[in-house]
Amino acid sequence: MRGESTWLLAWRRFRRSRLATFTLGYVALMTVVALLAPAIANRKPLAQKTAAGWEFPAVADFWINDPDIELPPSNPIVAYWPPVPFSPNSVSLGERLEAPGRVHLLGTDDLGRDILARMIHGARVSLTVGFFATAIALVVGSLLGAMAGYYGGASDWIVSRLIEVVLCFPFLFLVLGIVALFKPSMATIMIALGLTSWTSEARYIRGEFLRIRDVEYAQAARASGARDARIIFRHLLPNAVAPMLVSASFGVAGAILTESALSFLGLGVPLPTASWGSMLSKAYEHVEYAWWLITFPGLAIFTTVAAFNIIGERFREALDPRS
Amino acid sequence: MTTYIVRRLLYAVLTFFGITVATFVLIHSVPGDPITFFMGRAGLNTLTPATVDALRKEFHLDEPLPVQYLHWLRGAVTFDFGHSVIDRRPVRAVIFEKIAATFQLNFVAFLVAAGLGVPIGLWSAARSGRRAERASALGFFLLYSLPSFWVALLLIRFFSVRFDLLPLFGMVSDYHSQLSGWDRFADRIEHLILPVITLSYAQLAIFARFSKSAVTEVIRQDFIVAARAKGAGPVAVIWHHAFRNALIPMITLFGLTIPYLMSGSVIVEQIFQWDGVGLLYYNAILARDYPIVMALTVVTAVVTLLASVLADILYGFADPRVRVGEGNE
Repeated sequence: MRGESTWLLAWRRFRRSRLATFTLGYVALMTVVALLAPAIANRKPLAQKTAAGWEFPAVADFWINDPDIELPPSNPIVAYWPPVPFSPNSVSLGERLEAPGRVHLLGTDDLGRDILARMIHGARVSLTVGFFATAIALVVGSLLGAMAGYYGGASDWIVSRLIEVVLCFPFLFLVLGIVALFKPSMATIMIALGLTSWTSEARYIRGEFLRIRDVEYAQAARASGARDARIIFRHLLPNAVAPMLVSASFGVAGAILTESALSFLGLGVPLPTASWGSMLSKAYEHVEYAWWLITFPGLAIFTTVAAFNIIGERFREALDPRS
Repeated sequence: MTTYIVRRLLYAVLTFFGITVATFVLIHSVPGDPITFFMGRAGLNTLTPATVDALRKEFHLDEPLPVQYLHWLRGAVTFDFGHSVIDRRPVRAVIFEKIAATFQLNFVAFLVAAGLGVPIGLWSAARSGRRAERASALGFFLLYSLPSFWVALLLIRFFSVRFDLLPLFGMVSDYHSQLSGWDRFADRIEHLILPVITLSYAQLAIFARFSKSAVTEVIRQDFIVAARAKGAGPVAVIWHHAFRNALIPMITLFGLTIPYLMSGSVIVEQIFQWDGVGLLYYNAILARDYPIVMALTVVTAVVTLLASVLADILYGFADPRVRVGEGNE
């Protein structure tokens, strides 16, 4: 038994909350949907048998960002279709702005694109941005925080001033500025979000390191000749991982929210790639009658963000010895 | 106390330089300069190289970056941010024209958020752990997860489209000038309601949560036990003993509210076509109007900085441990 007991304890406390377990399941489901999006919503069959043998047309879509609209010319003998037989970008002008029904479960937008298919593929954008932006923020934040807390003195002073500067800017001003002035793309958004939201992680790690840099095991490591890098990464940082997961969970929630806001403002992932935020800006144009355009993408953003927030909150409570 | 204030102010000066350098570097690391972008946008490829050079000279774009920075900084401290690249009006005039609208919106939103959020937080602290409190805590937590533009769309859908109770967008009606005094006021209020709700609900949740945890922190202390022991009721304990002490950390939170509200303003003003600096910033970003973008970024950051300095100084007055602790750190 090394560090497991703390984890196990927290996990058990976490599991005690039914809401937390449920939201964790929801997030897992969303992640699976995002990963398998081309196999869940696609106009092309998952597998088909033609005269030439078996083919898997939908599989190719895993490697391209915007699945193409053309269907391969083939005459399948047997075909297995994805559960949602529509691609996110296949325009169908005859089916514009259809209300939810038996064919299009959640309706269509003003180009006749299937809302459910677009939402399934939109989950990819949201979760990718959420996870990667948070990963960047965690790396930057914990490196700077560890440096400030471990060495103290001048490096602490510099990092603290840097945090103060970043906190003075309105968050969205900064992100909007970076994303719009450099080219809006998924990578720009992730970098912009990562580079602007590391401050809470840095502050947390700094405080944690100030507290634990001179505990016995750190002194022992130092006495046995370990270099600073080894002490920081091998001995101190692992002790701050669990609380970092808490802030990561909040971070993913915030990043998903900001990405959708950027897409809503037209400065997110470029069209026609489906994203929940840009679907809502379409909804704004048809606010008078197309209620389904507003309801479903908004619910997707809200439930996903809420799930990550709830997980973070319950995990924080599970780690808090006072609760 | 004087040492504490002086040190805080010195830090603020450093932070100010950090803010200006960060803004300047960010803008100038963007590929291409505003002149080339503007030419491309307006289709002004016919400009002679001489004219382009003259324009570059006017905006100091022909000089090395540190010199450009100093030029810009010298203007910035006297609140002279040059001219808008798009319509050539002074940046200062453009911002002054819009700032009142944003201030009005944000101030009302702040009052609503603090006026409802803080009492809710106190109530939650007093009723902590009970079923109603747990439910409301979760409710506020979910409130915080709602995307503001979705809330705005739902509000518009229900109040403006479905029931036609409130205006869709804008700050006043088209016929505003023909209204009499009282109706004018009512017209303004009607236009304020939806943007204020959109801007304040998340902040309300933050205030409720923060004031709850601040009060809860105080309740754990010995003097609260003493107050209870002498027979003070739950309301008296919260109001007279806990809340006053909890106010101190809340001062800091109020200072940090400014950037949050400004971020929210960009979205809210865009949706409701509220003619303030949030909308101005959005349009300036799209048009690459660098002088406006830089001025707005720096001005809001500096206002935030001043608010946080003020909060820290108030904090120092209210809590002697802060100014002593600062010296030891």
